[in-house]
Amino acid sequence: MTAKHVAISEEEVLLAFAVEPIHDHQTLERYLGEYPEHANALVDCSIELMVDATRSDEVSLNSEAVVDQAWQQFQAAVGKPVDGSAVNPFATLNPTAFKSLAKKLNINNLLLIRLRDRAIDAATIPRRFVQGLAAELGAPADAVMAYLCSPPAMVSGHSFRSAVKPAVTEQISFEKAVEASHLTQAQHDALKALKD
Amino acid sequence: MPEALKRKKKDGTRYTRPPEIEAWLEKIEKIEPLDRLRRFEGFSKRASGYVPSEALVYFLRKAWAEGARAEFEKIFRILLRRVEQSLNSAISDARMDGAAEIRDEVRGRFLELITKDCNEKPDLLDFFEIRFDKALVAIRTSVLRKIGPSTVKTVPLEQHNDDDGSEISDEVETASTEFLGGNPSKLDDPAFRSALAAAIDGLPVEQKRVISLLLEGFPIDSKERDVMTIAHILQCDERTVRNRRDRAYKALKVILQEENAQ
Repeated sequence: MTAKHVAISEEEVLLAFAVEPIHDHQTLERYLGEYPEHANALVDCSIELMVDATRSDEVSLNSEAVVDQAWQQFQAAVGKPVDGSAVNPFATLNPTAFKSLAKKLNINNLLLIRLRDRAIDAATIPRRFVQGLAAELGAPADAVMAYLCSPPAMVSGHSFRSAVKPAVTEQISFEKAVEASHLTQAQHDALKALKD
Repeated sequence: MPEALKRKKKDGTRYTRPPEIEAWLEKIEKIEPLDRLRRFEGFSKRASGYVPSEALVYFLRKAWAEGARAEFEKIFRILLRRVEQSLNSAISDARMDGAAEIRDEVRGRFLELITKDCNEKPDLLDFFEIRFDKALVAIRTSVLRKIGPSTVKTVPLEQHNDDDGSEISDEVETASTEFLGGNPSKLDDPAFRSALAAAIDGLPVEQKRVISLLLEGFPIDSKERDVMTIAHILQCDERTVRNRRDRAYKALKVILQEENAQ
């Protein structure tokens, strides 16, 4: 396998196929040739597209309760209340920037994820650490603290699964998080030294 | 000028919106936000002035990026109402068992895509700015493959599982060649297509795949190695494909005859 080969998920392949302007023999053959591992999924999608083309959306429906619930789920998962009082300072970071931030703070991704998801009790996070985090994020320390103090986020990817009741992670202390994040001894000692 | 999409195709070029969606965006971008929101309210695709959902996704993402939270919430709610309408039509309780759970799952996945888009700036929502309804079909297919019923409720005849068994009777073989073969122009008739699509939807998934590939013009097998055949696509013996086809034709013939008799 070449280094350039990037695995693409079934959903991404189906999305790309579905938004093609035409779904004829050539289009399907091209996708089947490019993604033989997703052949059944592509055929299933072409059937759904065919069925879809013959139906109408004009059903009368009162969806307010469902929409309300969806909005609440979204707010809980996005961790960003509409009034903007606790803006997620991690929101603009792409995965590379996220990793680089962890490196700059001399911690690992796991601990940074716990901070981002507010899985750590904000009251136990050393003030100097929050200041360092805010400086690296380019955000005021107060704003970062406000974010860290807001309720913990639901774990992304499981928040909307109907089979599992959405739940938030129970917060742990900063000390416990440091111990459980597989940090090196040097990182461990440096964080200990920041204790208020 | 509307902002370009970020998502790149396999060849490295960027995805683009269809010209009619670009035209909508340019038109609506000039309108004041409050007036714009009023225009988004329409639900009926047939109504004049109905703003396509692709444009709603564009302005939803724009509102988030600009921190316009009230506007974001309003567009979010309108969009979710449209999704709900589409899901209730496509995954109706009459069509399949467990429809409510499947609708929940598709809606949940759509919410995940919005959330990830807001939090991490990936580009999967770009597909919804190109062809919203079709992108939703992709999500639906993906969910149905994971948790959906293997067949929908309307399976018409007793089904057999002996795909690889002996060849089925000449009678069925004749029926299958008569089906469409005698009158392919029938496919141009929208009423027939609609009835056919519904009938195919009622078949077991393995038969459904064979029929759909036949309708797309793929051969069952071929002596030429570079021809993509149904047997190759579905990774099974050509005799299995023929058996599935014949069973499907038999079932479809009965349903379509009943349809015509009504």
